[in-house]
Amino acid sequence: MRIEEKRYTKTDHFRATGYVLKTMKVTFKGLVRATKHRPCTIMYPWEKLIYPDNFRGRPGIILEKCIGCARCAKECPNKCIEMVQLELPNVGKVKRPQVNLGRCMMCGNCAEACPTNAMIVTPEFELSSYNRADLIFDPIKLQHPYKPGYEVNYQFALLSEMNGGEVKTYAKNDPNVHDTVLLEGGKCISCGRCAKICPTGAVELVETGELNPKTKKPIKWPKFDNTKCVICEQCVEVCPKSALTIKEVL
Amino acid sequence: MSTLYHELTNFTEWLLGLVASLLDWTKLGFLSDFGDWLQTEPVVTLVATLLVAVIFLITAMMFGLCFIWEERKFLGRFMDRRGTQVGMLGFFQNFADGIKVVLKEHIVPKDSDHALFEMAIFAYLASTFMLFGCIPFSDNFAVFPNVNLAVLLGIAIFSFGPFAILVGGWASNNKFTLIGGMRAAAQLIALEIPLLLCVVSVVVLTGDLSFVGIVSWQEHNIWLIVPLFIGAVTFFVASVGESERIPFDLPEAEAELVEGWATEYGDVRWGLQMASDYFRAYILCGLFTMLFLGGWAGPDFIWAEAWYLAKTFIVFFFFIWVRAATVRIRTDQILKLGWRRLLPLAVLNLFVAIALKLAGVF
Repeated sequence: MRIEEKRYTKTDHFRATGYVLKTMKVTFKGLVRATKHRPCTIMYPWEKLIYPDNFRGRPGIILEKCIGCARCAKECPNKCIEMVQLELPNVGKVKRPQVNLGRCMMCGNCAEACPTNAMIVTPEFELSSYNRADLIFDPIKLQHPYKPGYEVNYQFALLSEMNGGEVKTYAKNDPNVHDTVLLEGGKCISCGRCAKICPTGAVELVETGELNPKTKKPIKWPKFDNTKCVICEQCVEVCPKSALTIKEVL
Repeated sequence: MSTLYHELTNFTEWLLGLVASLLDWTKLGFLSDFGDWLQTEPVVTLVATLLVAVIFLITAMMFGLCFIWEERKFLGRFMDRRGTQVGMLGFFQNFADGIKVVLKEHIVPKDSDHALFEMAIFAYLASTFMLFGCIPFSDNFAVFPNVNLAVLLGIAIFSFGPFAILVGGWASNNKFTLIGGMRAAAQLIALEIPLLLCVVSVVVLTGDLSFVGIVSWQEHNIWLIVPLFIGAVTFFVASVGESERIPFDLPEAEAELVEGWATEYGDVRWGLQMASDYFRAYILCGLFTMLFLGGWAGPDFIWAEAWYLAKTFIVFFFFIWVRAATVRIRTDQILKLGWRRLLPLAVLNLFVAIALKLAGVF
């Protein structure tokens, strides 16, 4: 207290008054601004914030584009996407993603992984419901009208090219830097399951020219068409002898 | 005599006459006598006065509620938000709050002084409601329009507040309420004197202690805020302190003292106490209007009451502005402000008033 008394000189007498007047000036400016334009409050249920262009709300799907590769289901960090059977009028029985939005964290990785940009991120965020079952969006419910910018595109660089100098960037689904499926020939039993499961028809069974010594039939091995392949890894998973592996471009 | 009072006297005479004729109709001797007694002048005067008082109280309370609404809306704009939204421009928020506090349970602390605890809040509220009667809206619309010592009466009732606050804070048996009560008493006493000295300067110039006299003087000469500007500023600062508003809201500093002296009060008592803060602010705004802004004086195209209310609302806007701009100050600072700044300023202002009077300017 004594120190304060000592510091308090006569010149300080009007400092407090000046301080009060200054704050009053500042607040009055705020009042004029808020009255002339509008306060920063957003009247939420009636008006919404303007969301940024890259806002990631709930995932949506464009069913015409979806090929059922299940990459979204593999990519999902919360495991909220499940491939379900669906009867589509023109296509027939197919598998399409169903999203449990109760678990979804809106990361948009599914849309990032989608090779055909069928999975999109929508700006929709009002997802509250009265029970959890309503939050499980089946493919039909998951549909959302498309607008340019809803799909997630990204650019990437290869690690091997990163040691100094300029780095070349590639767009999503660049055919030049495509992962490939490798076949370990000795393990293949020519069952053809990979060809059956491939969603894009990139796998074709081709005769190798050899004959099976027991049955005297030609041995067929799968051949992969890299322009069609979307690296969904379904063939790798389905292979009964683990003959297939993915070779990543690094 | 006010026109409101006159009209209500006629109404009361008619009403009591009706009651008396009904009593006559029963053909019972003592009831007829009672009816005759009802029509005598003292009873009529009493009933008419009561009616005036009730009407005036309700009107003043409604405008007090308007003050809460004004504060909420303006404070919202000051803080770059919208303020209340319930009903008509947020006006019904007050009523929603009122209904809410009315529905609350009445709780008395176990170790408190029950009788004093119950009484103190009503003493405080009574002093506030009595103040309503002291401030006329105009020379027509008032309970006692032309009391000779109305200003002194108002200030005297006002200074009854700290006593009730101190008693209430002590009776709650809680350290926060006691500290709040002590602070309130110290602060109100420190700021009461500059306030009164400013009033004295006004009285010196106008030579009248009734509101009607002061206002009519200002109507014929000049609004007193011009010659007594120092006094007006001092009165304003002192009245912000008197109404316990930010930056002088030490008695109920939420961050330090929960709710100050009213911490233990719940239900409608708390609600009325809270509203009473605004009613007191309204009364001080009214006093400021009367003393310095010419009261209900103004051009004739709207009612005098409307002029008075418009001026009080403008004064209260400055209250809100100060609240939005400043922060709470310390107890020692508030006392220092009261004794070292406002008191000398008030004395200076009094000298100015006396000098003007002696020089024969007014």
